Parts: sequence; C-alpha cells; structure tokens
Amino acid sequence: MDSLPSIVARSIIISGSATLIATAWSIPLAYHASTHRRLTPLVYAFEALVGIPTVLVGLLLYALLSRQGPLGWLGLLYTPQAIVIGEALLITPLLVAVSYRVLSEKSRELWELAATLGATSSQAARLVLSESLPGLTSSVIMGFSRAIGELGVALIVGGNIAGLTRTMTTSIALYTSMGEYDKAITLGLILLAITVTFSILARAVRREWE
Amino acid sequence: MGITGRKAILFVIVSLIVVAVILSIVYTQLYGSSATRLRAATTTSLYATGLLDYLSHHYEASHPNVVIDYIAVGSGEALERAARGDACIVLVHAPSLEKRYLEEGYISNHVIFAYNYFVILGPKDDPAGVRDASNAVEAFRKIYIAGEEGRALFVSRGDRSGTNVRELMIWNMTGLDPHGKDWYLETGQGMGETLVIADEKGAYTLSDIGTYLKYELEGRLHTLTVLYTNSTELINIYSAYTSTRCSSEEMGDGLQFIEWLAGSEAQSLIAEYGRGEYPHPLFYPAAGKIEYLQEAWRILANG
Repeated sequence: MDSLPSIVARSIIISGSATLIATAWSIPLAYHASTHRRLTPLVYAFEALVGIPTVLVGLLLYALLSRQGPLGWLGLLYTPQAIVIGEALLITPLLVAVSYRVLSEKSRELWELAATLGATSSQAARLVLSESLPGLTSSVIMGFSRAIGELGVALIVGGNIAGLTRTMTTSIALYTSMGEYDKAITLGLILLAITVTFSILARAVRREWE
Repeated sequence: MGITGRKAILFVIVSLIVVAVILSIVYTQLYGSSATRLRAATTTSLYATGLLDYLSHHYEASHPNVVIDYIAVGSGEALERAARGDACIVLVHAPSLEKRYLEEGYISNHVIFAYNYFVILGPKDDPAGVRDASNAVEAFRKIYIAGEEGRALFVSRGDRSGTNVRELMIWNMTGLDPHGKDWYLETGQGMGETLVIADEKGAYTLSDIGTYLKYELEGRLHTLTVLYTNSTELINIYSAYTSTRCSSEEMGDGLQFIEWLAGSEAQSLIAEYGRGEYPHPLFYPAAGKIEYLQEAWRILANG
C-alpha cells in the first residue's frame, strides 16, 4: 500500500501538470476566439462539452492508448502521463468556455475605450489580458478542481497501480471496495480540503488584484 | 493583435510547458525506478483481501528487478485487458470465461494457484429456508420461491465478475430466470459494496468466502450470515495465465512469476495468509490437490 502523503502529492502533481498543459492551449485559444468572431462556433462546441463524462474520456483514451490501439506503441497506458493527458483533455472545454467568457467581456468593456484613449492595439491587448487575469485564474482553479476530483480517467487509463498511478480518487474507490470506509472518508476530506483551499486562494488573489 | 501581445502570449505558453516538463521530470525522478514493471490484471477479491500485495512483497524481495503492478478489476474486465495485451498476466476465478479466452488464443500457460469456497449468505432468520437445502441449486430454488412470494430479496453483482458468473451458472441449473424480477437486485459493483447492500436490505447473496470474512471481521455486516456452503459444488478456483500479446521480455518475467505462484514458497505463503487474524483460512493453496482442482475447473469451464 502507498503511504497517504505520497498519494496526495502524486494527485496534486498529476492534476497540476494536467491543468498547466490545458491552460497552455486553452487560454490562447479562448483569447484567439474572443478576437476572431468566426471562431465563436468552436467556443459553443466547447461549452457543450463542459460536462463530458469522465469515464467517457477515460474509455476513449484507453482505446487509443491500449496496445491494440492506434497510439499503443507509445507505451503510455497505466502511466501517470496517461492520466495527465486525459485530465488535460477533460478540463479543456471548461477552461476554454470560462476564459472565453472572461476575455470577451473584458475586451468588449475595454478595447474601444483603450482605442479612443489612443492606445495601440498591442497596448489594448495587454490591458485586456491583465484586466482578465483574476477571471482567468479562477477558470484555471476550476479546471484543477475538476481534474483532481475526477475518477474515471485516473481509474481507466491509470489503472490505480500502487506507487505509480494511485491517486486520491482511485484510492477512495479502492478503500470503499475493501470496506475501509474510515480511510476512504479521510481521503475524501483531504481532497475536499485541497479544492476548498485552492478556491479560497484564488479568491484572495482576485481580491488583491481588484 | 500587436507584436508584443503575441510575444507575451507565446512567453506564457512556453513557460507553462517548461514548468510542466520540469514537473514531469521531477516526478519520474521521485517515483520512477529502474526495475521492470510487470502488469497483472486481477480480480478484486484477490486484491482487496490483501493477498496479492502480501505475495508480491515476498516475490519482490527475492526478485529485486521486477515490480508487479496490479490492476484490480472484475474477472471479465481483467481477461479483456490481458487479451488486448495491456496486462501481461491475469489472475482470475471465472473458469467458463477463462475457457473462452484460452480457446481464442488470447491467454495461455494456465496455472491453478489457490482455491476457496463460495458461500450463500442471507439474513439470520432465513425466510427462504436456505439452511435446510441439500445443495446449492436447491438453495437458489428456495430463494426464488420466497422471492416470488415477497418474502426474500437477492442481491447480485451483475458485473460479469467470477462470482457473478458462478451465480448465473447456479441460476441456470435451477432452470429459473430471476432477471427482471423485482426481488432480484443487480448492483454492478464489487463484492464488498454488494455485501453491504445485501446486509442493509436483509437480502440473500453469493460471495467468495475471503471478502465475506474480511467484512465480517471489520464489523461491517450485521444481519448477513453463512447459510450454505459446500466443498465441492461451491468451489472457487483461482488461476493465473500469461497473455499471448506480452512482449518477449514481459513474457519471461510473467512466466517466472506464475511459476513462482505455483511453487512451494508461494503455496506455503498462501496457506499461512490471514492465519490468526481470521477464524477460517481465506485461501487454500492448490499444491497437492492439483488433479482434483483441474477436474473441477474443467467441469466449471464447460458449465
């Protein structure tokens, strides 16, 4: 059995990496969509996918990464990297949809104002981005919370392997199936504490900015 | 968008990717190891009772270059994962499913390494009269009649696990079909969850003895008790196989491990497991009874 601190640390590292990767492509995409009207349908598609079931993402990724699957040669199945990829894909729609909201609202508010005050378009863009930072931060925190709290992807493509891919949620499932409810609940509470702490931090950061 | 805006965004993207790469390198340094990893898909009953961690703890002590990664799922899923080559060895207890995968050439090198018994559990007051049954088929028939009369409930795993496959086989032998009856509940969950549900509902269920003893010892069960068990009809046979889709390197490790499982060291470890902690042994070693177990396996596999 894994020790509790290493399970918690592994979960934070895996979901944190997934969030960083998803942020790296989601926010530029959302920004691009907020400045190019023809990309709006893409944003609607992402909005529709916000609630995509985690087991579905897990199963599709399993079919891709399985040795018999098209990406089987990568040897990624049952590794932490597979969970990172799955969770990054899982939270992308959420990140794109929320940051698009924030960015398009701020650019509507500020772009013309900045332009009339004589700002160049790059200055205006920077103003929009910096004014959007608090909102973008909360979208990232939301993505992280969804990633760290999900079970389907971690269980199916991670395999809940002790010392390698066992995360907090897969341990909770395992402890439940072993009848060790006390341990399952303890881990559940730790998970809750982590997500609550992150959202409080985000709020504090936001207040600092505003 | 102006040049500086683009540059800023590019900078953010690059720095995020750099951070992610650094994190994953740190991660591999912290958690990676040079030993080869052998993936074993296994049934939940073997894993949740702690037997496999106990066995691989001893195995890894004498074979420091191999780490065994267990993927604990139901027997049906475990066989499917091995058939796809995503696990190199598979540890299961569903002879009729195993036979199908063997015949289709997905798994080979069959080794029987342990056995125990299934038990028919139910409420202490036993409204269906299962205690008086002379065999498992009669016990199920009594539950069916009591169910139809509204005096009993039956909780099934309903998940194509080894236990569920055996349960359906017994129903099949009664010539009665409980599916769709309002007293027949399918949980679709593991044995432990199913035991708790049966206990809460005062229902009957079929369980492997290991999971039941573990739950009983931990005080999770209040009304469930063993009403019927039998050493021949309700035998539960655990087998190990290698997947025919293993790479040659994995195959070497996999064969070595399942041969070790059948060998004297592992067999005496299995015999000792849980002694002193539980009132009955959780598992019996297969050594010394192999021919009998192979015959029983054949009968079960042919349903």
